[in-house]
Amino acid sequence: MDIAQAIVLALQVWGIIGALVAVAFLTVGIDRIDEDAQGAYVFRPLLIPGILMIWPLVLWRWWQIEAEAAPWAARYRPVRSAHGLAAIAMSVAIVAIVIAGLSVRQTWPADAAPVQLSEGSGQ
Amino acid sequence: MSDKPFFVGYLPAPGPLRGFLIAVAVLLIGAMAGAGYLMGAAQDDPGPGAFRFDYGRQTVTGVVDMVPYPILHVTQGNDRIAVGDSFMMTAGGKSGVDGRAMPLNGQLAQVSGIVLERGDLYMMQLRGGRNGLQATDGEVPDIPIEPQGRWQLTGEICDGKCLAGAMRPGRGLAHKACANLCLLGDVPPIFVSTQPVMGEEFLLVTGPDGTRLPRDAYDWVAQFVTAAGNITRRGDILVWEIEPDTIRLAGEDAE
Repeated sequence: MDIAQAIVLALQVWGIIGALVAVAFLTVGIDRIDEDAQGAYVFRPLLIPGILMIWPLVLWRWWQIEAEAAPWAARYRPVRSAHGLAAIAMSVAIVAIVIAGLSVRQTWPADAAPVQLSEGSGQ
Repeated sequence: MSDKPFFVGYLPAPGPLRGFLIAVAVLLIGAMAGAGYLMGAAQDDPGPGAFRFDYGRQTVTGVVDMVPYPILHVTQGNDRIAVGDSFMMTAGGKSGVDGRAMPLNGQLAQVSGIVLERGDLYMMQLRGGRNGLQATDGEVPDIPIEPQGRWQLTGEICDGKCLAGAMRPGRGLAHKACANLCLLGDVPPIFVSTQPVMGEEFLLVTGPDGTRLPRDAYDWVAQFVTAAGNITRRGDILVWEIEPDTIRLAGEDAE
């Protein structure tokens, strides 16, 4: 398996798990953790793309609220404390990726001359 | 109540904040302009290739030669395409004309389409169906086929259509996925040599013994590589039969 196939496989697995989480959360979970969503169905398909992408966060929030694993206020506070670090890390990573890409980029080998290895019958 | 200035979007900016806001705005605009300039300056020159719609539709007659990619050796040209020229043919989009050209291999045919041109290299994007390629009557001349020996070349494998001007840039890593899609669609591949080979910078590149470019070679498309293979002059065009097991990155020693 080459790198491209591994990336595609990883995305497929991530998406399949996300789809299963979306089915479970939008049919069962959302009614249990958000009473305002009870009886409201039309908006739920709109959440599917987001759940496919961030299903671990959905599962974690679902568990946190369902199990009352955090104080009341903390359970409803968006997870913002790590956002700053993530933003800085991503900014640094983007710059690092661009620099790494430029540094390993090949330069046109203009001085490499053609070499005749054997004569042809047409010469 | 605090005396600290407070910015409200729909009210005039408080005095103490104006200088800060102006400085941030100028810095942002300057940084964006600088980043844009640096990104633009880091790009390679896309070259002079282009569709030559300004030439109008070109119609010429010649001998179809599958090598195994379709080329035409011109026997009856016009004011832009001379008798004795040889050029590659392709179809619209990312597809070739192999299906239409195969039955006419070795026969005289009239072709019609739009020229793509990049320096000495040109190819023709044929019109659809028989309007683009149809058999015609006449005597088929012998096309000179002259083996030129085995050569080691350094350069880049590209898809001929984008390189000739269908895309800008039509080569380089940024264009690799597009080039491979074109090659999968039977667009003729071209090798761009670092230095002219017998006067030619661009060579039609195939697999050994007249086969298509092997799929193994697709991994090397758009990178600067060195490889070996036999060169044959067919009419006015050089065909390089690349040997896939000799392909390596330019600058790397052979094993």
